[in-house]
Amino acid sequence: MTVWTWLALAGAVALALVAAAELRRHAAARAAGRRFLRHPTASLGVFILAFFVTLALAAPLVAPYDPARQLDPVHLQNQPPSLRFLLGTDVYSRDVWSRLVYGARLSLGIGTMAMLVAVTVGAGVGAVAGYFRHWLDAVLMRGVDVGLAVPRIFVLLMAVALWERLPLVALVLLIGFTGWFVTSRLVRAEVLSLREREFVAAARAVGAGPTRVIFRHVLPNAAAPIIVSAALGIGNVILLEAGLSFLGIGVPSPLPSWGSMIHDGWQWIVAAPWTSGFPGLAIAFVVMALNAVGDGLRDALDPRKEGT
Amino acid sequence: MTAWLVRRLAAAIAIVFAVVTITFVLIHLAPGTPFGADEQHQQDPEVIARLVRQFGLDQPLPVQYVLYLRNLLRGELGQSFSQHRPVADAIADTIPPTLTLAGAALVVDFAIGLALGVYQAVRARRFGDVVLGNVALFFHSLPTFWLGLVLLLVFGQWLHVFPVGGMRDPVLCPSVTSARCLGDVLWHLALPALTLGLVGAAGTARYQRAAMLEVVGQDYVRTARAKGLRERRVLLVHALRNALLPFITLIGLAFPFLLTGAVLVETVFAWPGMGRLSVGAIFQRDYPLVTGAALVASGVVVLGSVLADVLYAVADPRIRASGGST
Repeated sequence: MTVWTWLALAGAVALALVAAAELRRHAAARAAGRRFLRHPTASLGVFILAFFVTLALAAPLVAPYDPARQLDPVHLQNQPPSLRFLLGTDVYSRDVWSRLVYGARLSLGIGTMAMLVAVTVGAGVGAVAGYFRHWLDAVLMRGVDVGLAVPRIFVLLMAVALWERLPLVALVLLIGFTGWFVTSRLVRAEVLSLREREFVAAARAVGAGPTRVIFRHVLPNAAAPIIVSAALGIGNVILLEAGLSFLGIGVPSPLPSWGSMIHDGWQWIVAAPWTSGFPGLAIAFVVMALNAVGDGLRDALDPRKEGT
Repeated sequence: MTAWLVRRLAAAIAIVFAVVTITFVLIHLAPGTPFGADEQHQQDPEVIARLVRQFGLDQPLPVQYVLYLRNLLRGELGQSFSQHRPVADAIADTIPPTLTLAGAALVVDFAIGLALGVYQAVRARRFGDVVLGNVALFFHSLPTFWLGLVLLLVFGQWLHVFPVGGMRDPVLCPSVTSARCLGDVLWHLALPALTLGLVGAAGTARYQRAAMLEVVGQDYVRTARAKGLRERRVLLVHALRNALLPFITLIGLAFPFLLTGAVLVETVFAWPGMGRLSVGAIFQRDYPLVTGAALVASGVVVLGSVLADVLYAVADPRIRASGGST
């Protein structure tokens, strides 16, 4: 660790603090924002997320070593945390801190992208089913029933294991396409009630087609449940990716994702608990932050369900 | 009620059928065969051809599918490639361990979750509630397999309180025959059950707290207090009774969670259950075993949700009167 690394790390903390403070200031000005802040952990969650996002973006500055480089496979295996190696080294003599920082890119990136896919598909299917109703609704919702009946990790395991080395894009798409079922049910319920409202009838009376009505009038009003389920969903995806990588079939080695780091350190957990320990803690903190922010958002956007 | 139940069960069977079909197509679409040679294992092409013929893999996919369904109707799940015995036997052997683990995890889950949720609701928005709420949120956010690793390291390796894996001592207790061997199984069960149970309990507590808070504000609870009943009786008998209703939904939801968790936790603790069997079958491209496992897993999930609906109708007269709305 050089002076520069420490400076960059301090900068990341400062930036996260500023981001959280700035958000607090903005939020306190509005009623919904104040409801968000009333959640005991939401502000802390924003700080944790801002910190890890900064780490991910500024990875080359904050990481002292190349995450995939084996520094000295003979002498620097499984070194305990020290000033030189902040979180120790793993069995291949790679710096755990550097891998954790670069792992934030992969884990957060996969979580966000897969969630975007899932929310887009879920909102689309839910809107179409709720808006057109009748046989289209029946067919789509039976499909959702089937999707919900299979444990998600099972489908992913099957797809990933059978196709062997999957590119990352395919992994993201797969996780996304197996995660939209719950969102589509939520959106459908919302759309079913929205479509009977006057402003939708008015839009139709002016001659707007179904596409325009759904995208311009119905979906924007169903945004609250979509946003909340997205925030909670990213955490789920991160846990899922970690589970797949832990079984050795998610993110291919030597790319560092937090799950694959736990996988790499698992066999040596007695000799070097830090190799699996720290990435697990990172997952726990990020997912906890996402859950807290998701809860806070629900309190803010959907006051009827507050306090649950 | 009966008509509703029949419709619900028919839908459940249709869902499981769809899952089987999708699994079947998916694994047969995947490149490669289970008997293919790789770098390490050179295989005689003639042997491969014979195996492919023996298991009927040379037939076109629709023919294979029809054959599989016909066998399924007769209650046969086919022969496992890797275990050289019927799939049904292989799965049947792993069901008791998985049920044991899931049952024990559920007990931990509901016992801790219920107590925590009620306590938090009673102290809502005060110090104890906030602290416990955050602890629960933290546990809820843990990867189950990682919590398992940590518990294994601390209690198995460092403190030597619990064994580091497996279901029973292979030398002293090859099967459960005596009270001591039952104790041995329980001793092996403690850590995996605690792992799954703790993560589940965190979610249960959040649910239970919300349900309890909703009930505590209602008029009949105030009436009970006005009658002069002791606070303990008001909360634990009058309020909790109705706050337990959403709990039934949780039982249904717990099945997918336990199955998913089992896949990873069984791997960590070398627990000889269905999760580990499925993972092994998938890696070995054991088509019949994978399809069979998918059938059982989805069947359990769907039955779980039907069971939750039925329990709900039994427990809540308001739903029974309307003949089940869903």
